[in-house]
Amino acid sequence: MPIASSHYQQKIDEATNFVRDRVNSVPRVAIILGTGLGKLATHIKPEVTLPYDEIPHFPQSTALSHQGQLVLGTLEGIPVVAMQGRFHLYEGYSSSDAVLPVYIMQKLGAEFLVVSNASGGVNPKFTGGDIMVMNSHINLMFRRHSELGGHNAIPGSPDQPGTLIYDRELIDLALQTGREHNFYVHEGCYVSLTGPNYETRSEYRMVRKIGGDVVGMSTVPEVLTAHSLQMRVLALSAVTNIAKPDTLSETTAEEVVDIARLAEPRLTAIVISLLRTL
Amino acid sequence: MLDLHEKIEDAVAEIKKHWDKTPHAGVILGTGLGSLVKEIEVEVTIDYGDIPHFPSSTAISHAGRLVCGTLAGLPIVAMEGRMHMYEGYPLKMITLPVRVMKALGAELLVVSNACGGMNPNYRCGDIMIIEDHINLMGDNPLIGINDDRLGPRFPDMCEPYQQPLVDRALAIARKEDIVAHKGVFVAVAGPNLETRAEYRFLRTIGADVVGMSTVPEVIVAVHCGLRVVGFSIITDMCLPDALKPANVEEIIAVANGAEPHLTTLVKGVLAEEKS
Repeated sequence: MPIASSHYQQKIDEATNFVRDRVNSVPRVAIILGTGLGKLATHIKPEVTLPYDEIPHFPQSTALSHQGQLVLGTLEGIPVVAMQGRFHLYEGYSSSDAVLPVYIMQKLGAEFLVVSNASGGVNPKFTGGDIMVMNSHINLMFRRHSELGGHNAIPGSPDQPGTLIYDRELIDLALQTGREHNFYVHEGCYVSLTGPNYETRSEYRMVRKIGGDVVGMSTVPEVLTAHSLQMRVLALSAVTNIAKPDTLSETTAEEVVDIARLAEPRLTAIVISLLRTL
Repeated sequence: MLDLHEKIEDAVAEIKKHWDKTPHAGVILGTGLGSLVKEIEVEVTIDYGDIPHFPSSTAISHAGRLVCGTLAGLPIVAMEGRMHMYEGYPLKMITLPVRVMKALGAELLVVSNACGGMNPNYRCGDIMIIEDHINLMGDNPLIGINDDRLGPRFPDMCEPYQQPLVDRALAIARKEDIVAHKGVFVAVAGPNLETRAEYRFLRTIGADVVGMSTVPEVIVAVHCGLRVVGFSIITDMCLPDALKPANVEEIIAVANGAEPHLTTLVKGVLAEEKS
């Protein structure tokens, strides 16, 4: 287990206790709802909703289309904790702040992390609106987690050699859900950059060349943290725009949000399938 | 980040005390290219130290002042001496002058740098018109809460260097018999030069030249809505299988030697702005 600095550990403990005092159930699944995918929260039967600014030490959300609240309740009868609104490194949060909620959700009891994001597709087989289940990532964010102590305390370092970050059973479940509901789910590699600018044509070519299928500005810090805490991770990417570097057209945030909404029912179906297996 | 707006206003107010024209273009002069300033009909120079929130410039061969005047008949402001990430300045500070140029009224940013050539078809002393870039600096000047008064949260980067300006610069180069390429610039933080393995890596991901500047300024220029034209002088060739130790004096000598070409191109690009 990673060793957090005592100051950081204290933040985790205080925030966790604050949430625990307000909720009876112990969440089994933590869900981070990314760009344009916040409506999954409407499927949750809420027990309590906590705005981020009421939770001690919780950072505040600023990104487009993101609200900022922690929803605790049940989804398909399973107790869950969901982040409606997340923290991106491009907003200026340190890595340590951006992943603090993951520590808190794990401490509340969550064994699974389900995380979603919007991404730009560089794999030419992908189409806008497709879903990709992440089976790997390439971290090009160049950010360190500054508040951990101990040489073996880096999130994502293999505490249990041999365990994969992206859980194979959960990937297969996502692929199967796609077949059952008659939509295509790709499996692939997510390249994370900090942003906030969209990529240049040369950067899209680079991402493709080094093995990426999609590129985005989130998810990897949270996933690394969850893995270091031995949570099982399911990471889903809504491919919102297709980057064709040789005929590139402009990408706008509004367009990304619109297409992410089209992917929403599919994403919801996969998460519900997961919960039904529990 | 929301204090940036005030910093820009402070700097603009100070500059306007000395020079009240509206520049058409801002020019950033990179390593060894500072004497392009000689071509400017100088009206006012202001030391960075006298402009609020401007950092001082410490890099080798860099002066550190803002030159206001006329180049190719157009009012311009030029940065003689630029700040680099490897000097330890935050990218927001490095790029503040670009926002100040925009706030003064500039429409166009002209950037130049000295770089290492990795494309084997290039030669030392050649000029490359920057067509696109890859940011591998590990940082971004736009990280932080976005001030919507300054630009959008997620700026598009499909054409940071306007194709018509690239074409214009290439046409001028042909006319003036100057060897000029168009290619991809990759920015790294430095300050060490790259290892042979790193050169192979950078070439593999699609870059033609490598340098330690320019990309932060261009990202901010796109964010605030400036058109950009960028010039790289290839001051040493970085061919991993025939690599020689780099020599800073030689690099500066090559940059100085190529400077008349760069001057011709910059003046030519600006002269066609008028028409």
